Amino acid sequence: MAKKTYDLLFKLLLIGDSGVGKTCVLFRFSDDAFNTTFISTIGIDFKIKTVELQGKKIKLQIWDTAGQERFHTITTSYYRGAMGIMLVYDITNAKSFENISKWLRNIDEHANEDVERMLLGNKCDMEDKRVVPKAKGEQIAREHGIRFFETSAKANINIEKAFLTLAEDILRKVCDLTTMSFFQSQHQYFYLSHTLTLFFKIN
Amino acid sequence: DSDMPLMEESEKLRFGEESSPALAFEKDAFELTVEDVYDISYVIGRDLLKISSTGEEVSDLQFRIVRVLEMFETLVNKYNLSLEELKMERDNLKSELDRIQTAGPNQLVVDLTDPNRPRFTMQELKEVLQERNQLKAQLMVAQEELQLYKSGILPQAEPAMVEVDLETPAATEHSPATINDAKEEKTTIGKL
Repeated sequence: MAKKTYDLLFKLLLIGDSGVGKTCVLFRFSDDAFNTTFISTIGIDFKIKTVELQGKKIKLQIWDTAGQERFHTITTSYYRGAMGIMLVYDITNAKSFENISKWLRNIDEHANEDVERMLLGNKCDMEDKRVVPKAKGEQIAREHGIRFFETSAKANINIEKAFLTLAEDILRKVCDLTTMSFFQSQHQYFYLSHTLTLFFKIN
Repeated sequence: DSDMPLMEESEKLRFGEESSPALAFEKDAFELTVEDVYDISYVIGRDLLKISSTGEEVSDLQFRIVRVLEMFETLVNKYNLSLEELKMERDNLKSELDRIQTAGPNQLVVDLTDPNRPRFTMQELKEVLQERNQLKAQLMVAQEELQLYKSGILPQAEPAMVEVDLETPAATEHSPATINDAKEEKTTIGKL
């Protein structure tokens, strides 16, 4: 009657310029709360949230990185372990959007090749201060073949949807891998892919 | 009245021959030194002597002229001292700048008396953050187990499978051989 707390562990990573709201996005998802005071993340932090998808309990370990350049060497060392990466920009900050291509290059350079990526245009509640049209976000996402959402941690828009969609995309990938082979027998932990660094328990 | 310009002309010629004190009158005001002021005083004094009338009005005027020349001396002196001080200040700043620049364009000069100066290396910060996150994860595992234990789901004989992946970024490359290790790890965490 031993009860496991989860079936799968997914490691996600949030990246993007300083001040775009990565920590707020994560705080909204993990604690359903919002704080207006800006506290710059020091290096790297994480939160845990367990969700249920397709009847499976999935523990999400979400790494929140500092956007500031000076923490670059610390944060990039966490790319490798991530199965999903959320690139966040601020729709009221043109520079943060321009830098998305820089963050995409960082992923190419430091993350696993099969990492699932997603683009988020945060602060979409601030329509009067918008400088990045939604179409521009959609365009760059299309060019790189990744999903895109406009979110607001403050107004709780698309936050849960974004995380669940990213988790679903990873789950789909993982299931494809299990059906391909790799597993040995039932009631065992299966090593799926050394790049995914994932242990999968099937009941 | 009509012969005034002539007089000035002849004076000029006379002083020109001597080629000294009167030259101070030709100088730019900002280039005057105290010596120039003395030259000017000398020339004015000499000219005053030439005025033959010795009435009270003339002596009053002489007194005022002397007073104005004294004030002039003070101002010129003060001006030159200030100028000298500013030049010294400039030279000090210049040499300070040179000292800082010799540290190289990409190097930072740190004030050792500043309590907020940077003092930890990136590697040290990285290690501290890793430890913090490890402890945070362990706390979460402990909290989860406590919750399970409290709710009676967790039998003491059989530990629950609670695991938070805490691999350091450098150690994320796994080979299939680590499956067994991972199982053991889980058991250990369960026993904790």
